[in-house]
Amino acid sequence: MIRVIIRRLLWFIPVFFLVTGITFVTMHALPGGPFDSDKTPPALVRQMEATFGLRQPLYKQYTIWLGNVLQLKFGPSLAARGKPVESFLLPGLAVSAQLGAFALLFALAIGLPAGILAALKRGQWQDRLAMLISILGVSVPAIVLGPVLYWLFGLHLGWLPVAKWADPSDGLWPYISHAILPAVTLGAGLSAIVARLTRASLLQVLYEDYIRTARAKGLAERVVTIRHALRNSLIPVVTYLGPLAAGVLTGSLIVEQIFAIPGMGRYFVSSISNRDYPMVMAVVVLYAFIIVMVNLLVDILYVFIDPRIENT
Amino acid sequence: MTTVATAPVLANPRRSRTLWQDTTRRLARDPLVIICLLYLTALLIMAFIPARLAPLSYEQTSFSDKLASPGTIAQDPKLGGHRYLLGSDRLGRDILSRLIYGARISILVALMGAGISFVIGVSYGLVAGYSSPKVDNLMMRLVDVIYAYPALILIILLQVFLTTLSQQDLAETHGVQRLIVRLDQDSGGLFFIFVAIGAVNWLNMARLTRGQTLHYRQQEFVQAARVVGASRWAIMGRHLLPNVIGPCIVAETLAIPGYIYTEAFLSFIGLGVQPPTPSWGSMISDGYGALRLAPHVIFFPALALSLTMLAFNFLGDALRDALDPKLRNR
Amino acid sequence: MHRSSWMFLALAVCLALVAGCAAPVGAPTTGVETEETAAPAEVATGDEVVIRLSTTSEPTTLDPNLAEDYYSITPVEQMFLGLTNINNETAEIEPELAESWETSEDGLTWTFNLRDDVLWSDGQPVTAQDVVYSVKRAIMPETASPYAYVLYIIKNASAINQTAVPTDTYAIDTLGVEAVDEHTVQFTLEAPASYFLSISSMWTLRPVPSWTIEEFGDAWTDPANIVVNGAYKVTEWNPGESLTFVKNDSYVNAADVQIERVELAVITDQNTEVALYESGELDVAGEGAGSLPVEEVTRIREDATLGAELHEGPRASTTYVGFTMTKAPFDNVLVRKAFSAAIDRETMVRDVVGSGVPATQFAPPGIFGAPDPEIGIGFDAAQAQAWLAEAGYPDGAGFPTVTYRYFANTLEEALAQALQAMWKETLNVDVQIEAQEFPVFLAGLKNDVPLEQMPEMWRLGWGADYPDENNWVYEVFHCTDSSNYPRATCTEADELAKQAALEPDQAVRKELYAQVETLMFQEEVRVAPYYHRGYTILTKPYVQRAYPTFAPVNWDTWRIER
Repeated sequence: MIRVIIRRLLWFIPVFFLVTGITFVTMHALPGGPFDSDKTPPALVRQMEATFGLRQPLYKQYTIWLGNVLQLKFGPSLAARGKPVESFLLPGLAVSAQLGAFALLFALAIGLPAGILAALKRGQWQDRLAMLISILGVSVPAIVLGPVLYWLFGLHLGWLPVAKWADPSDGLWPYISHAILPAVTLGAGLSAIVARLTRASLLQVLYEDYIRTARAKGLAERVVTIRHALRNSLIPVVTYLGPLAAGVLTGSLIVEQIFAIPGMGRYFVSSISNRDYPMVMAVVVLYAFIIVMVNLLVDILYVFIDPRIENT
Repeated sequence: MTTVATAPVLANPRRSRTLWQDTTRRLARDPLVIICLLYLTALLIMAFIPARLAPLSYEQTSFSDKLASPGTIAQDPKLGGHRYLLGSDRLGRDILSRLIYGARISILVALMGAGISFVIGVSYGLVAGYSSPKVDNLMMRLVDVIYAYPALILIILLQVFLTTLSQQDLAETHGVQRLIVRLDQDSGGLFFIFVAIGAVNWLNMARLTRGQTLHYRQQEFVQAARVVGASRWAIMGRHLLPNVIGPCIVAETLAIPGYIYTEAFLSFIGLGVQPPTPSWGSMISDGYGALRLAPHVIFFPALALSLTMLAFNFLGDALRDALDPKLRNR
Repeated sequence: MHRSSWMFLALAVCLALVAGCAAPVGAPTTGVETEETAAPAEVATGDEVVIRLSTTSEPTTLDPNLAEDYYSITPVEQMFLGLTNINNETAEIEPELAESWETSEDGLTWTFNLRDDVLWSDGQPVTAQDVVYSVKRAIMPETASPYAYVLYIIKNASAINQTAVPTDTYAIDTLGVEAVDEHTVQFTLEAPASYFLSISSMWTLRPVPSWTIEEFGDAWTDPANIVVNGAYKVTEWNPGESLTFVKNDSYVNAADVQIERVELAVITDQNTEVALYESGELDVAGEGAGSLPVEEVTRIREDATLGAELHEGPRASTTYVGFTMTKAPFDNVLVRKAFSAAIDRETMVRDVVGSGVPATQFAPPGIFGAPDPEIGIGFDAAQAQAWLAEAGYPDGAGFPTVTYRYFANTLEEALAQALQAMWKETLNVDVQIEAQEFPVFLAGLKNDVPLEQMPEMWRLGWGADYPDENNWVYEVFHCTDSSNYPRATCTEADELAKQAALEPDQAVRKELYAQVETLMFQEEVRVAPYYHRGYTILTKPYVQRAYPTFAPVNWDTWRIER
C-alpha cells in the first residue's frame, strides 16, 4: 500500500517536467505577448516585458520559474498585474472541486440505478428506456441544458436561484440551491457514462460462472445480484473515476460561465489568450497533480475492492 | 471383419457461423440499429452533396429577414419568396441550408478524428502489447504522462499554434510548413481540429489495444504461429490484429460523439471553423445569444448534434452487444 | 461490513473530503467588514442602502497608476479622486481635488490649487506631494504603467519612462512636476497643450498613498491594506466572484453619498446577467465596455416591463475598417473610397450590432474637436460602384480576392460576415475573412510586419482615453508619432494634427481638427469608420443615475428611491 502511494507520487516528477516543458516552449512560441495592446506604444510594451523578465532567454526564464515553484510560488499573474497566481487558482479550484463533487454525486445517483436496471432487464423496454434517458443527458449540450434549466426553475418557476455560487457559510439551503442546477447540467453527461459502464460490466458479471454457481446453490436472485454481482461489476466504474474527474474539471468551463460560478475553468482558456505565462504553467501543473492524485485514489480503492488485482 | 465408415447423416445440416456473421445477423434484426444506420447514411449523403440538397447557399445573408421563425417567407426580393423551413439566423441565413452544409464538418470530424486516433492508438497499443515487458512498460508510462496533460489546453495550444503557422502566405513557406498550410487551406481550417482531437484521444485506444494484445498473445494460435516461424510483424498484423480489433472498433464508435462534441465546444469558445463556413458547433455558439428571443436558431443545430451523438452511441452499444460471444443465441 | 460497502464508504468519504477541504480554502480575502449577502429582490438589508451591480470582467488591478481597462478604471474612479472630474451629466470638466488652475502665458506651465480639506481614509491629509509621487510613480519604468504614454506631454516624461533599466539610469527629479507647497502642484510641459486639462481628469495621475505602497508593495490594493480618498473603499474581493465596496466615511463629501454599499458581481455571460436582472438579483445590467447582444436587446425592447427599463445612448468609441495603404489594390484611394461607401452603416447598427450610431467620421460628437456636422463617406451604393469602376475594376471585374482580418469574438464574427456580404453585394468582390486570437492579431499588424503578411483590411476601434481629438486623430493616426497601422505616408493632415496639439486657442483647434478629419477620412480614407458604439443598460426603476457618454460612472451621485 505504502509502496503504491510512493510510486504514484514519485511518478509526478517526470510528468511535471514533461508537461511544464512542453507548455512553456509552446506558449512562448505563440506570437503576441501579455502586454500587447493597440494603445500602448511598442517601446513601452518592451519595457514592461523586461520588467517582468520576459526578455531573457527561455531556458533562463524556465529555471527561474522552476526555482520559484520549488518554494511553492507560482509567480505573479501578468493579466492581473502582479497578483500571485495562487490567489486566483486555489479558490477557483476549491469551487470547481465542489461543483465537480456535486456533479459526480448526481451522476452516480442517476447512472448507477439506471445501469443496474438496464442490465437486469436486458433487452426489455426498461433497458431501452433507461439507456435512452441517460444517453439523452450526454446528447444535450450543456450550452443548451444550462440556460433551459435556469429559465425553467429560476425565472419561470422561481424555485431555485438563476445563477451564481454560494458558500456553505451562507447557510445550507443557499449553498445547495445554488449548486443544484449547475451540478445537474454538468452531471447529465457523466450519468450516461456511468449508466452505460455499469450496465455493460454488470451484464458481463451476471453471466460469469461463479454467478451461475451461486444460483445453482439456490440463493435468491436478489442476493445473487447484490452480494455477488454488483460489487464486482463496479470495478470499471472505479477505473473510470480518473478520466471522469478529469472530464469534470475541463467540462466545468462552460457550466461555470453560464452559471457565473467562480471556478478554475475559465483560466484554462483565458490564460492562453492573455499570454499569461505564469497562470498557464500553474494551471497545467495543478491539473497534472490532480490527475496523479485521482489515479492514486483509484489505486487505493482497488485495494479495498479486489485483492486479486495486482499492483504492477 | 469389415467395418465401413459412413458419414453420419444429420437431420438438419447447419452451416458454420463466424463471429462476424453472427454479429451482422444480430445487428440486422434490431430495428433501432437500422434506424441509426439510415440516419447516418443520410448524413453522409448530406456531407457529399450539400449543394444539391440545400435550398440556399450557407452564406446568403438577408438583413431584413434576420431571426425569422421557422416557416416564414423571406421578404427580401432577391430571395424570390423563399420559405425558411427552419427559420433564419441573426444575419438572415437559412438554417436548414447551414445545417446541411454543417453536416459535412461533423461527419468529417467524426471520421477523421476517429480515423487518426484509431490508427495511432491501435498501432501503438499493438506494438506495446507484443513487445518485451520493459518496452511495454516504457511505452505505457509515456501514455500515462501524456494522459496527465490537460486535454483542453493541449487542444487549444495546438490549435492556436498550428493556425498561426498556417496563416502565413503560401509563397513564403517551405517544406513541412508548406504541407501543413496546404492541408489546412484544403480542409477549410479543419485540419488542425482533427489533429488536435486525434492527438489527444489516441491514448484510450492505445491502452485498450495493449490490454487486448496482452490477453491474446498468450493464446495457442499465436504460439503456433511463432513456432512456424512467422515474423513479429506478421503475427501482429495477421493474427493479433483481427482479434483485437473488435472491441477497438466498438470503443472508437463510442468515442465519436465525444469528437463531435469537442468540435462544438471549440466553436463555442471561438476556436472552431472559420466563418462563414457553418458547423453545428459554430451554429450553436452563434445561436446562444438568441436563446430567449429566437430559440430555433440554437435548437435545430443542437438537435442535429444530439441525434448524431445518439445514433453513434446506440450503434456502438449494439455493436458491443452483438460482438459478445457470451450473449450468443440469447 | 461487505467489501462493496467499504468501497462505497471510501468513495463517499473521499468525495466529502474533497468538498470539505475545499470549503475553507475558498474563504474570501476580507477586509474590515464581514460578508453579508443581500437576499434576492431585497435591496436594503436593515437600514443600509445597498446596490447590486455586475461586471463582465474582473478588474485586473485597483492601482490608479496601473489601471488600463474599463473594468479596472471604474472602481479606481470611485476610490481615488482626480485633479479634475468629468461631470456625468454635462460632460464638462469640473474641479475635484483641484479647486482652480492656471496656465502660464506660454502654455508650458500649469498650476493646480488643491483643496485643503481632503483626507485619506486613514486620516492623513491629501497633499500636493501625493500627486507628485503618483506622477513620478507612473513614469518610472520599474512601475511598468501601460498608460504612462498619456503623460508624455510632461517635460522629460517620455525619456525617463523609456530608459532601459537597469543598464541605464535616469533622474526622476528632472520630471516636469513639482509640489510648490502643501496644496499646489505645478506641471511643466514639453510643449503647450490645451488638452492637458482633459488629461488631468485621468486615473493615471491620481494621488496615491506613498506610505501604504512602501509598506505593502504590490499588495497595497488588497482590501485589508488599501487607503483611499474617494467616495468608496473596497472591503472584499472574492477572485472571480465579486467585489464589495463600502462608503468611505472620511470622504470629503460623504454627506452627499446615499448608497452605502456596492456589491459588484463578476458575471461573464451576458445572457446570465440579464436573467439575474430579471430575477431581481441585480439592480443594473449591461454596464460593460460593450453592449448587450443584439438578440437580447431586441427581446428587451419588445418586452413591456424590460423595455421601459432599458437605457440607450452613445459611447465615445468608434469601430472602423482599417486599410493597409501600402498594399495593392488598397494603395489606390478610389478603391478605399469605394469600400467605405459600400458599407451600409444603418443596417450594421440596426440589425447586426443592435445598438450604437452609424459613423462616417472618427471622433464621435462629445469629444472636443469632433467635426459637427458630420463629415466623411456614408453609404452610397451607386457612388461606391462608380469609384470602383473609376479605379479600374468595373463591377468588380479583375479585382483580386483580398483578406479582412479581425479578432475572434461573437460580435466581430457577425460584423465581419456582414461586411463580407455587403462588399459582395454592392461591389461584387470576394473578401476572405480571417479570425485570429487577439494577441496574434495585434502582433500581425505591427509596422515591422512584412507587407506580404499584412491583410489588406482589418478591424480596429478606438475608445477615448480623454475627451479630446488629440487622443483620436493624433495619437491613433499620426504618420510618425502613433502606431499608424494603416501605414499612411505623411500628408498635410498630420501637420495640421500636430499644429492643433500645440494651438492654445480652442476655437482654432476645432477648425483644425475638422480639417484633419476631412482629410484623413473623406479624402485620403485611411480607414473607414462605420459605427460609434452605444450602451444598452438595464436599470431598475428605483435607481436614479446618469449615463455618461464618456468618463467612468460616479456611484456617489446615484440615488435609490423606493
